Amino acid sequence: MARSSKAIPWFLFAGGGTATAFILPVIILVTGLFALFGAFSGALSYETMQAFIGNWLIKIIVFGILFLTLWHVAHRLRVVAHDFGIRADTGVAIVVYGLAAVGTIATIVALLSI
Amino acid sequence: MSTRTITMEVLRYRPEQDQEPFFQTYTVPCDPDWVVLDALNYIKDELDRTLSYRWSCHMFVCGSCGMVIDGEPKLGCKAFLKDYGDKIRVEPMANFPIERDLVVVIDDFIEKLESVKPYLIAKEPKTIEQGEYLQTPAQLKAYKQYSMCINCLLCYSACPQYGLDPSFVGPSALALAHRYNMDSRDVGRKAREDVVASHEGIWECSFVGACSQVCPKDVDPAGAIQQTKITSAIDYVTSFLPGGNR
Amino acid sequence: MSRKPYVRQMSKTSWFLTHARYKNYILHEVTCIFIAIYAVILIVGLFRLGQGPEAWQGWLDGLRSPLGIIFQILAFIFAVIHTWSWFKVVPQAMRIQRGEDFVPGNLIVGVHYGVLAVISLFVLILAGVA
Repeated sequence: MARSSKAIPWFLFAGGGTATAFILPVIILVTGLFALFGAFSGALSYETMQAFIGNWLIKIIVFGILFLTLWHVAHRLRVVAHDFGIRADTGVAIVVYGLAAVGTIATIVALLSI
Repeated sequence: MSTRTITMEVLRYRPEQDQEPFFQTYTVPCDPDWVVLDALNYIKDELDRTLSYRWSCHMFVCGSCGMVIDGEPKLGCKAFLKDYGDKIRVEPMANFPIERDLVVVIDDFIEKLESVKPYLIAKEPKTIEQGEYLQTPAQLKAYKQYSMCINCLLCYSACPQYGLDPSFVGPSALALAHRYNMDSRDVGRKAREDVVASHEGIWECSFVGACSQVCPKDVDPAGAIQQTKITSAIDYVTSFLPGGNR
Repeated sequence: MSRKPYVRQMSKTSWFLTHARYKNYILHEVTCIFIAIYAVILIVGLFRLGQGPEAWQGWLDGLRSPLGIIFQILAFIFAVIHTWSWFKVVPQAMRIQRGEDFVPGNLIVGVHYGVLAVISLFVLILAGVA
């Protein structure tokens, strides 16, 4: 039995789970209340968001949160696939981590364009 | 003392005559303070001598009488009839092959238990003259909870990952590995890591937590495994740094 | 006497329906589906922000669409389930020993909710005054 490399995605899963547990409810609350009642429309206006996300420190924080979130859901999806009876673990791992990698690159590209 | 009449539905399987298991119904007059094990003993003594099951201490310290009662893994001696209705369904523990009736084949667990080296691996052997190991109460507390495991295997019965993939080392074995890893007298963590940190070891666990919920001794194997994941993951990552062991 | 152990098969696709604790487990596991979709929505939003005011307005309009609203309600519920189930198990994964005692689990969980409240309030105030 060799030592498993699952340790690495698990670290990201744990970090992402912690990050999403603390930050995600309020973020969804903000966009959700905006969607329902137009709340926070000042904060979500183009000018404000442009200036906010344009800040380099904010970019790093936003990247950090999205990076951890992507790898958290990727690993969890791998486990969920296994729990739902999908046996091809290596194939599933390649797909989910591949998507997380694509998402990571997309996040970087998007942040650099702001 | 008023007796209660309980209808026991017990899963039977006689390998020499049955193609598959089936439920047999017994009507048992019970004392109100009985446990399920008492009802089984009544069946064996008075109604059906052929019923087979394991039991010993009748006080939830030996771990022999693990079974599934009304869908829940429990020790027969710890399942009080006052907590159940007038019809009780008794089956052998899940995720193990059935040997006969309520007796399951546990060879797989024994192999896994041996594979995690569940004994003290000391820095160097000590002679009697060198004296005893010294351990503070705090050092004892660090692993004591995990030493309470009685190998009853209810955790394996509850664990869906073990059910999905029987190569999983499993909650009890991993909790016992953790018990020794946390013991200040032990230096065997590296020696155990090949099994513990393998794909079939802690990494098969997805923290369902069912094992800790059914454990009759509050060992919390799920906690043991998660704690092991943290130290193992750190070990794995640092082993790639210069000076790490690979 | 010959042995003939009998192996009972477990359903690989519906085992979690057999007990409340397994249903609970699958519930907090599938939160990742909604969180994943929401993360994609956020990343798309970042792209739209970089593409200019009209593109950004299009993204905001998408949030306010009926599908967007329904999804965000569901995503919020599942995010809360994730947070609740995550915090619940922290004391098991991380035992903090002080001398002969362990820090009570309730305290650890309580601190997590406290931090959650502080972070949430901070974000709400930040968004409210902007």
